[in-house]
Amino acid sequence: MAIEISNRLGLANVKSGYIHSAGRKLEDIHEQLLELEAKGEVKVIHVKDENKAIEADTLLGWKKKIPTNKLWHHKSCGQCGNIPGYPVSLLWFMNQMGLEYVDERNQTSCTAWNYHGSGTSNPVGLAAVAVRNWHRAYELGLFPLFHCATTFGDYKEMRNLLVEHKELRDEVRRIMHKIGRELVIPEYIVHYSEWVHVMRFEIAKLKKYDLSNIIATVHPACHTYKMIPEDCIYDKDIYAGKRTAVSTGVALALGAQVADYSTWYDCCGFGFRHILTEREASRSFVMDRKIRPMVREAHSDVCITQDTGCTTTLDKNQWIGKAMGYTEQVPVMADVMFAALACGADVFKIVQLQWHTTDWRPLCEKIGIDWKKSEEEYNAYLEELKAGGKTVNLYEYPKS
Amino acid sequence: MEYDENGVSIVPSEFKKEIFEEARKDFRYEEYVRGCLNCGVCTGGCPPHRFFDFSPRIVLQNMKSKDPELIWTMMDEYIWACFQCFTCAMICPFLNSPGGIIAVLREIAVRRGFESAKKVLKPYSRVLLKLTAYGNQLSPDMIQPDFFPDWGPHIGYASTDLAVKRKAIPMPTLQVTNLAWDVAPETMKELYDIFDEAGVFKIIESVDPSLYEIIQDIVDDVRSS
Repeated sequence: MAIEISNRLGLANVKSGYIHSAGRKLEDIHEQLLELEAKGEVKVIHVKDENKAIEADTLLGWKKKIPTNKLWHHKSCGQCGNIPGYPVSLLWFMNQMGLEYVDERNQTSCTAWNYHGSGTSNPVGLAAVAVRNWHRAYELGLFPLFHCATTFGDYKEMRNLLVEHKELRDEVRRIMHKIGRELVIPEYIVHYSEWVHVMRFEIAKLKKYDLSNIIATVHPACHTYKMIPEDCIYDKDIYAGKRTAVSTGVALALGAQVADYSTWYDCCGFGFRHILTEREASRSFVMDRKIRPMVREAHSDVCITQDTGCTTTLDKNQWIGKAMGYTEQVPVMADVMFAALACGADVFKIVQLQWHTTDWRPLCEKIGIDWKKSEEEYNAYLEELKAGGKTVNLYEYPKS
Repeated sequence: MEYDENGVSIVPSEFKKEIFEEARKDFRYEEYVRGCLNCGVCTGGCPPHRFFDFSPRIVLQNMKSKDPELIWTMMDEYIWACFQCFTCAMICPFLNSPGGIIAVLREIAVRRGFESAKKVLKPYSRVLLKLTAYGNQLSPDMIQPDFFPDWGPHIGYASTDLAVKRKAIPMPTLQVTNLAWDVAPETMKELYDIFDEAGVFKIIESVDPSLYEIIQDIVDDVRSS
């Protein structure tokens, strides 16, 4: 029996003077990191003036600087592998705003999806991979921006472990010397959704479509706000500061309605291993705990995500629900993709919704986007490429 | 190995004690296992608890008991039910991390090549191969109808003209079909050195020797290129 709740709108807009404490007394790892730097134990990738940082509040009221320029894109395996519109939309916005960045081949996976799925690594391996990638950004004089929530969660954890444990630092430093690198740690671990959040008012200036009739439901990613929860953005004007503000903030700034639903805190069912090898668990979780509540309680037009695994799991597992008589469907996309659609980015060439399995066309039509024209142009573009035409890129590798 | 009358292997209690000591010696143990009120908030919020016989409260209580027999009971498929979402860690009033201690126990199960770990991870080998041999773990050519029939008919989109569709993505790093992004060979070599030094290759050898051999062939090729 479905529970019909007529009004789940408005909670996201509740304002409060409340500062979350959660009963936690935690050391600010940022200060400890700077102390280690002063002792010569580590090098730090500092946020510089040229990074044009914008400050945000985190769970415990600590300030976090979010660099917005001169960034090194740390890509995500799952996004690049099967949701390409995710990183493309982010680069598209950065181009629109004339910001500087590097996207290159000299980057590995964070390897954390594998670790959480299979256990086939250890803290030394995870931390060494993290430092290896951080150092690459450091040697280019850029600040690293992490696209995946699991990378974000893992790197926050690795930063904390490296700051707190000398033995781990020594072991990772030894490995870095072996590969010709140094032990460096970024001053802040920054997720792309935090960049989107602090840039939301700049993004909103690019808006092309009215979203006031669109109801969005937000699925916050576990590894964004449950791993090292104190290092995640909260805003007193969004959910009264009681839920993470990222993703909801940009949807509100674009004028969409953000609706509450009872299972907002639940994970997506990805499970790292389960999505590949115990899929019946993932798909049951998707339909019973996420999609049905979003549709039945909130009448959601779109599910907004902020992570790789969540976007994949929530999008891909709706079709099979029909086998159990579940008819609820809602298109799934990341905050930056939704924002790109609202700002007139091409549905096929930029947002790349053609790779998604749950039907997103009704959403486009409700917004007023002519996806058929976009599809025709894209198909013609594919024919050009087949005939030997050149790709029109958003970005080219640096010459040196 | 000794067996009981039902053909089930008898694991010596000394071995079970050794496993517990291995977990307790992990430098993260004190951070993950603190005081437990047995309030059950962790289990109430635990996503896999809704679908599996699995409870983070039991994991924590078993660790707190320091009873090797109880801890041993979790070393089979029990620890592999966890989604690693860390909902338990987020909501625990005592800042315990059942998800964190499960990661430690999984590391032990894999490092020691337990049969349960081998069985659970067998279908996972394609991902392990991609990640350890090439530096990222999900490639466009893996998303095919044969592997994901339950993802619906549209999943076939990636099975035709994949190369040209990837070429149409306006990021040069993504214009490949066999990797999520095109990782430079020099970068892969650095990753191999990290895996060697951190013992990651050894871990894979203990849990899947045949896969390890395939990975090593690829690693040797890239290293000699």
